[in-house]
Amino acid sequence: MEEKIANKYRLHLMLCAGTACVSNKSFKIKEILEEELKKQGLDKEALVVMTGCNGFCAVGPVMTVMPDGIFYHTLTEDMIPHLVEEHFLKGRPVKKLMFTPPREEVVIPKMMDIGFFSRQTLIALRNRGLIDPEVIDEYIARDGYKALAKALSEMTPKEIITEIKNSGLRGRGGAGFPTGLKWELCSKSKGNPKYIICNADEGDPGAYMDRSIVEADPHSVLEGMMIGARAIGANEGYVYIRAEYPLAMKRLEIAIDQAKEYGLIGENIFDTDFSFDIHVKQGAGAFVCGEETALIASIEGRPPEPRQRPPFPAQSGLWGKPTNINNVETWATVPEIINKGAKWFASIGTELSKGTKVFSLVGKINNTGLVEVPMGITLKEIIYDIGGGIPGGKRFKAIQTGGPSGGCIPARLIDLPVDFEKLTEAGSIMGSGGLIVMDEDTCVVDVSKYFIEFTNDESCGKCASCRDGSAVLLELLKKICRGDGKEADLQALEELSNAIKDGSMCGLGQTLPNPVLSTLKYFIDEYLEHVKYKRCSALVCKGIISSACQHICPLSQDAPCYIGLIAQGKFEEAIKVVRKENPLPLICGRVCHAPCEDKCVAGEWGDPVGIRSLKRFLADYEMKHGIVTEEKPKEQREEQIAVIGSGPGGLTCAYYLALEGYKVTVFESQPKAGGMLAVGIPEFRLPKDVLDYEIDRIRKLGVEIKTKTTIGKDIPLEKLKEEYKAIFIAIGAHKGLKMKIPGEDSEGVIDAVEFLRDVNLGRDVKIGDKVIVVGGGNSAIDAARVAKRLGKDTKIFYRRTKAEMPAIKSEIEEAIFEGIDIQFLAVPTKVLSSNGRIEAVECINMELGDVDASGRRRPVPITGSEFNVEVDTLILAISQEPDVSPLTNGFGLNISKWSTIEVDPETLLTNVEGIFAGGDAVTGPNTVTEAMAHGKTAAQMIDKYIRGEKLGRKYEVTRPALHVEPVELSEEEVKSLKRPEMPSTPVAQRIENFEEVELGFTEADAITEAKRCLRCDLEKEEEEEEVIEEKVAIEEKVEEKPEEKEEVPVAVEAEPEKKEVEEEKPEEKVEEPAVAEKVEEKKAEVAIEEKVEEKPEEPAVEAAAPEPKEAPEEKEIKPAIEIPEMKEVKPAEVKKEEEKVEPAAPEPKEEPEEKKIKAAIEIPEMKEFKPAVEIPAMKKEEEEKPAEVKAEEKKEEEEKPEEKRIKAVVEIPDMKKEEEVKPTEEKVEEKEEAAKPEEEIEEKKEEGKVEAAAPEKKKIKAVIDIPEMKKKE
Amino acid sequence: MPKLKIEDLDKISQKVRKTTLLREGAGRAKITVHMGTCGIAAGARGIMNALLDEFDKKNIEDVILTSSGCAGLCSREPMATIELKDEAPVKYVDLTPEKIREILAEHVIGGKVISKYALAKGSERVS
Repeated sequence: MEEKIANKYRLHLMLCAGTACVSNKSFKIKEILEEELKKQGLDKEALVVMTGCNGFCAVGPVMTVMPDGIFYHTLTEDMIPHLVEEHFLKGRPVKKLMFTPPREEVVIPKMMDIGFFSRQTLIALRNRGLIDPEVIDEYIARDGYKALAKALSEMTPKEIITEIKNSGLRGRGGAGFPTGLKWELCSKSKGNPKYIICNADEGDPGAYMDRSIVEADPHSVLEGMMIGARAIGANEGYVYIRAEYPLAMKRLEIAIDQAKEYGLIGENIFDTDFSFDIHVKQGAGAFVCGEETALIASIEGRPPEPRQRPPFPAQSGLWGKPTNINNVETWATVPEIINKGAKWFASIGTELSKGTKVFSLVGKINNTGLVEVPMGITLKEIIYDIGGGIPGGKRFKAIQTGGPSGGCIPARLIDLPVDFEKLTEAGSIMGSGGLIVMDEDTCVVDVSKYFIEFTNDESCGKCASCRDGSAVLLELLKKICRGDGKEADLQALEELSNAIKDGSMCGLGQTLPNPVLSTLKYFIDEYLEHVKYKRCSALVCKGIISSACQHICPLSQDAPCYIGLIAQGKFEEAIKVVRKENPLPLICGRVCHAPCEDKCVAGEWGDPVGIRSLKRFLADYEMKHGIVTEEKPKEQREEQIAVIGSGPGGLTCAYYLALEGYKVTVFESQPKAGGMLAVGIPEFRLPKDVLDYEIDRIRKLGVEIKTKTTIGKDIPLEKLKEEYKAIFIAIGAHKGLKMKIPGEDSEGVIDAVEFLRDVNLGRDVKIGDKVIVVGGGNSAIDAARVAKRLGKDTKIFYRRTKAEMPAIKSEIEEAIFEGIDIQFLAVPTKVLSSNGRIEAVECINMELGDVDASGRRRPVPITGSEFNVEVDTLILAISQEPDVSPLTNGFGLNISKWSTIEVDPETLLTNVEGIFAGGDAVTGPNTVTEAMAHGKTAAQMIDKYIRGEKLGRKYEVTRPALHVEPVELSEEEVKSLKRPEMPSTPVAQRIENFEEVELGFTEADAITEAKRCLRCDLEKEEEEEEVIEEKVAIEEKVEEKPEEKEEVPVAVEAEPEKKEVEEEKPEEKVEEPAVAEKVEEKKAEVAIEEKVEEKPEEPAVEAAAPEPKEAPEEKEIKPAIEIPEMKEVKPAEVKKEEEKVEPAAPEPKEEPEEKKIKAAIEIPEMKEFKPAVEIPAMKKEEEEKPAEVKAEEKKEEEEKPEEKRIKAVVEIPDMKKEEEVKPTEEKVEEKEEAAKPEEEIEEKKEEGKVEAAAPEKKKIKAVIDIPEMKKKE
Repeated sequence: MPKLKIEDLDKISQKVRKTTLLREGAGRAKITVHMGTCGIAAGARGIMNALLDEFDKKNIEDVILTSSGCAGLCSREPMATIELKDEAPVKYVDLTPEKIREILAEHVIGGKVISKYALAKGSERVS
């Protein structure tokens, strides 16, 4: 070390040697660096210094070149020669190795200019990256051991304590107990000797603050400990550190050796009467050892179990002597306080939380790493300014602070200042400093399950409440994630959590329910969604979603199945799968906004599978080859039903009603059937012959479509009501909204909906040569592309940026490709006209301001940036609303103040008996598929209504319709597969006419693309992995059946979870009658294997055993398609099923085989648990008799109207963002606005678009009276 | 190593001070030697060596010595830019080791610009 420092270097290359960077080969890089420096003759000029963790672990290995401060990241060995030559020899810093913030383009060369670093305040980490942790002199050069010298020579122990007390320092290990007070208690405590302990037993998942400090600056910890020892009168200390931290341990030992060499540890330090010795004790990695009494027990060689306090360690700690324990970060902070004074420290932070806190920032965040920030900083600053926001521009959902003992804080509390008090108020804790960021793709139930799994593993087992309580919590959470949860489970979760809190002795047990309690508090709707509606909108819980694409589809289209069939070349079978849930595949295959593709797993590291294009391929194939899918009405019924509106919602409703045998008449006011499909979407996206083909199919089922007939005008609604048994209103939202800017009434200002309608109907449309379209939704893009095709100079003005545009991304690209100029961050404010005719518009530029809770930056006008643009025609594509005027004449339909029809979201029934409504008329502008989903639901409800049955939906977990074998791919194939390019008309040709732009995949393309599907539907459920061991045990016991296939034990696996709640079996039958039915009737039906697996043991074993998975596919497919619609099992049948199945699930213990299985999977704790802790809710559930359960279930179904409303929201997931038929640029933000009235008003004023917000608000309004939902918004 | 006394801390600190100063990016002055291909060909290495040597001899600790690429005026290489804290940078051209020693003494330490060697005051802005 002497030599290193004696030399003079002009450059210091500070290369990170923290664990994360070392794992990414920073030592190898050091070697090559030195080699290259030597080669270039720079080894005397540039010194490579290995530092501790620099904190920016996300982009490691990192290196800072001093004195310039140039920051390089993600270094690899092969870059080094170039770097050395360019930068160190020729003085040209290498740009491509510099940092570029996510979603930005300009590189930031200097470390201190990067938000991640510049926003931090370093106290505990003051030396990180600046010194070589293995060289004590470097620590000393940065004022190291000065504080110790001061404490020993200038201060009395009492003065040290007073200083620490005055600084306001609180324990950084989690609880936040005032450090000075702790020292004082220990110093006053009688007993000799006394001990000092440094708690470096860091165990939170995702947290590594302590490791990093010890690795980067071990002396700061030692110095702090010695100052503490002096203060309380101890001469011996222990560092209790995890054995899993080899690098930290090595550096600690080097530091101790060097300090001993200098006499800084030993007898009479600095020639005073203070002597100190230190020991390093390795912990074996038990989480509970972080608890001080357990830690002490572990040092003493006893099993690490906490004990009752008092006495506190300050009175009776290690070996029964007064002991002071502090966390690594606390110790590392102490020397700075002594050096700089209590006043300085107390000036940083908030009133009760002083100084800084080190956090490890992990999860769904761009800049993963270790950060030190002043107390009181907001979560928003941490997440966006330091953390760089959420990867992929996704929505920020929640943040878990304090690790498994902490809580989950929702996005709406993003402005929360981070300090001990505020976090506690929010239901979380500071903890040791783990911050786990979650985005929209994180399921909070799954997160709770994860943490409880951890604490359940780590519980020492001393207290029954913690040991068994966590096991039951885990079972409940697993059950919910599997889709088997009940609403009663949520109450059980809460009650049990509180019981565990009250009944546990140490911090582990007392805090372990926090993740559950905080998520129940903030995300109750997400739990409800799981238990009641069998939805997981984050698309995480495999047991519920099966595959993301199927679960997110409003029509539950079984994409993995039909894609799997395409991959096998079985197109006819595939289209049948599509047709089963979708009467308009030709249309959806062209214009669906495809939320499935947004969530496609393949999209996480490449292009998502082109699901929409594949569907289109099938539909085109069907049309081209004239394949007839025999859809016949089940029976002939006399009842007549009227559908008002022939858009996607009306057509779908008519189709499903016709299949039931009803006589359906569709009334359409336009001369052409199809609603927005006919008059809104231009020909080049949806050719009319394609639309007509689909409509003809529906006509062939007996549906009559009367065009040019406006209900309320041509035929009064009353009359319709008399003639028809039921009415479904799906009139869409065809009325364009105004911007409310001055001069808007001038000639030449037109509405996009009218414009598109006129063009679509072949009417004579006159627009000027210079056209500006205002808006960012699909209407805006469509209108612009149409204007372009009419030969006009076309621009689009949108007030946010491309990333926020709600239109379908590929359509935006096509528009730009076709030469349409999109001006982002610009909005017209005034129409300038002469003689009543538009001549120009005054516009203003916007800039993106502060982020809101959703992480989107709001557009704010830039004062003085006004500019004028000459224009002949201004097309407004802001938003639409339904035109309900003809329907409201004297008829008592409830209309919201946003002109939408009010319905019960569960049943779509309006306030008038027999009249249902759906689609955009109810939701405001929305997507094609959402409208179709409404049509489908309305058909079910109308059928029930006519049959006199109780209205209500059934909710089931998502499952594939049938089992489709995946195609085997060779390694080579896997590597070479990529999304085929969609054949399309050349631009020069397409802007001349209205021919379809996309031409569809060829057969070969389709097969190639289908092969890229990862077939998530085949994934085993998460829980299965956990029970693999049990499975092995079971397999051994079930030796009598050696011929059984793999599936059998898998099927049996579901038992362990089932067992504790056996009484629920009958309930499950009710919920999934289709499965029971299949089990009964088609035991050989392998397609439903997955479902069967979850069923109670008896039927499962039976069903899975006889038929191997490899059954020929032909066989599987046919029955699957012929099976009557799953969802349509009538209650009567359900009851029958119950009766049938009940005897099949008798006391399973009587079966010898069953018994063995039981024995194998019995969890001993579970047995003990019941007598040990009485948790009312659980008990209740376990005692219930099957009969009672049935009764209760029925009650559940009948009551609780308020929960039904929630459904409306659940049913309409995030898709609002990218509407299909009539999108509105304002849509997404309006949603936010509705939740924030003050901001909304302000923004409206600015933009004058009060009405634009209307339809969205309606949606919000529907749920506003439900407290849980409010939280979500 | 004998046991440290309190005053030893300062001695060690002094000794290592330069190291930490350099790493903190703080300095009274900054000398940039332009070491593009043209600079190196014209003898920038000799300039750099001369400076390193002077630094060592004069025990200069508060001046940052760094290199950069071609300054664009290849015909006048070797070049160096001297930047005193809070003053505009000055570019020197056609340097020799002797000249740079002189500049170091007069300008960097003495604070007086040697106009006869200087090209111009100021420096192009890097955006």
